[in-house]
Amino acid sequence: MFDREKWLEIAHTVVSNPLRTVLTGLSVALGIFILVVMQGLGFGLENGVKAQFQDDATNSLWISTMRTQLAYKGYKPNRSINMDNDDADALLDHADNPDVYSRRLTLWGSRIAANGKEGSFSIRGVDPGHLELEQTTLVSGRYISDRDVAEKRKVAVIGEQIRKELFAGTGVEPVGSYIRLRGVLFRVVGTFNDEGSRWENQVAYLPLSTVQSYSRAGEPVDQLILSTGEMDLASTTDQTASLAAFLRTRKSVHPDDDSAVEVRNNNENFAQFQSIFDGIRLFIWGIGIMTLLAGAVGVANIMAIVVKERTKEIGIRKAIGATSASLVGLIVQESVSLMFVSGLVGLIAGVWTLEFVAPQVDHEFFQSPEVNFRLTLSALGILVLAGALSGLGPALRAVSIRPVEALKDE
Amino acid sequence: MIELSDLRKSYRNGARELEVLKGITAQVDGGELVAIMGSSGSGKSTLLNVLGLLDGFDHGSYRLGGQDMGGLSERQAARYRSTFLGFVFQSFNLINFKTAVDNVALPLYYQKVPRRERNARAMELLERVGLTEHAMHLPSEMSGGQRQRVAIARALVANPRVILADEPTGALDSVTSEDVMALLQSLNAEGMTMVVVTHEQEIADACHRTIRLKDGLIEGAPAHV
Repeated sequence: MFDREKWLEIAHTVVSNPLRTVLTGLSVALGIFILVVMQGLGFGLENGVKAQFQDDATNSLWISTMRTQLAYKGYKPNRSINMDNDDADALLDHADNPDVYSRRLTLWGSRIAANGKEGSFSIRGVDPGHLELEQTTLVSGRYISDRDVAEKRKVAVIGEQIRKELFAGTGVEPVGSYIRLRGVLFRVVGTFNDEGSRWENQVAYLPLSTVQSYSRAGEPVDQLILSTGEMDLASTTDQTASLAAFLRTRKSVHPDDDSAVEVRNNNENFAQFQSIFDGIRLFIWGIGIMTLLAGAVGVANIMAIVVKERTKEIGIRKAIGATSASLVGLIVQESVSLMFVSGLVGLIAGVWTLEFVAPQVDHEFFQSPEVNFRLTLSALGILVLAGALSGLGPALRAVSIRPVEALKDE
Repeated sequence: MIELSDLRKSYRNGARELEVLKGITAQVDGGELVAIMGSSGSGKSTLLNVLGLLDGFDHGSYRLGGQDMGGLSERQAARYRSTFLGFVFQSFNLINFKTAVDNVALPLYYQKVPRRERNARAMELLERVGLTEHAMHLPSEMSGGQRQRVAIARALVANPRVILADEPTGALDSVTSEDVMALLQSLNAEGMTMVVVTHEQEIADACHRTIRLKDGLIEGAPAHV
């Protein structure tokens, strides 16, 4: 295989015909480049969308209430429906899988002060199960505990953004220190970082009961979040309908009033996005195959033209002692090496683009594009094979022409 | 050097078979300079192809340097072409992206002669045809006469037994034609056997002897049946 003389002959031919070389090389390099970049962008999109789901547990149900839209049992529409602890308890009794849950009560725009600094953040009353359901990453200290909730303790777990704004540069360790919230001192017991959502990092988590004590009446609850555990998709759909119907009956809401009582099933949402991922993947594959096809057709075209253009050269070489086999070998080896090198150039250019250009694109739905090397290398292999095969036909035809005919006239 | 006996060759054209060579018997001795003349369609190109081992024949025999050239394989024909024969064409047929010295050295590449050696040999031949200074030029940078001399050097590089020239002066003006013929004659004077296909009487006159072809037969020879 390694015949120095042959390679020198090939190198000389390739270098002596720059236009032909560049045209052949360009179509291969471009094909591989497009393939690599499209693959990378597709992965980036998929990663971006998936990251959105890291915000919340995918196996969760989110129950919330708003105003009614339909009249029912003598009630007019636009009635405000509110949940409280009793409703939450009743729903938990009704649920199939009430082990992991959290009630939520959020107060937007609360001033928090510490270390002589102050900022406007949100506070949210939660149960311990909220850690898992919101997919929160605890950075230091501990989370809200059952005892915190039972004893209405004045403790807080603060988000990364709050820690930065109130503690960064002060040298004060957040855990164990105090923050002032609505004029009352709270002890910080932990800090967290929610990678799925930048918004969540501006929130301080407090025991639910503590936040409820701020309200004028009762024990209000904004949302009840339930884990569906290991339940399959169909069961979670049934569970969703069952809980919605239960709460609508309990609150005298029209059975079809989706606005007044809403149960969001993250399982279903995730399944939907899963099918979107499948779509994206199919799209990428489609583009990959099309690019490959276009590249192969282009290469075949160029090879046919190149060999035709070289018919005379083939005749000359044959007249001065070349065998047909050595000529076919020369042409095929030349085209294969040319395409391989161009393909590598396209691959490197594509990887470079993904490494250095793609990170400039800063968007929530676009994260860490990847290069699928195995796919790309097999694409390169297919292109080179297509080039070799498409060069082989015309080359065989060209060497079968009698040299004297090939040489007859310019 | 060349012995042909009742050589026949026909081409198939659709259902019809066209006999182009109808029984050629001829002999060319070593050191001879022979012209083959004939109008177009007389079969002279086909005869040259057969002599040059670029095409086979159907019937008869062809001996070159005492060896039988009948029924050669593709590989054998290529080897005999590169060791026994040198070609000179009307349109020079140099490889246009290779320099003069690379063109001259190319036949030796197919005989697997090392690069250094074949370039030295090519330079010798270029000197012989008076083109040492043009060794690194591309064909496009040379005149027709110079290109034909490069082609002659290439034909000589592998020390062939016979040089086959197909209208070697067909694309040249009369002054350059004379130069090229003088070169061929001087090579012949050194002992090289040559067969020149031409339709120009002047060129034929510069050869020792002329074989005239007409309708696939040598004129004046009795037709075989």
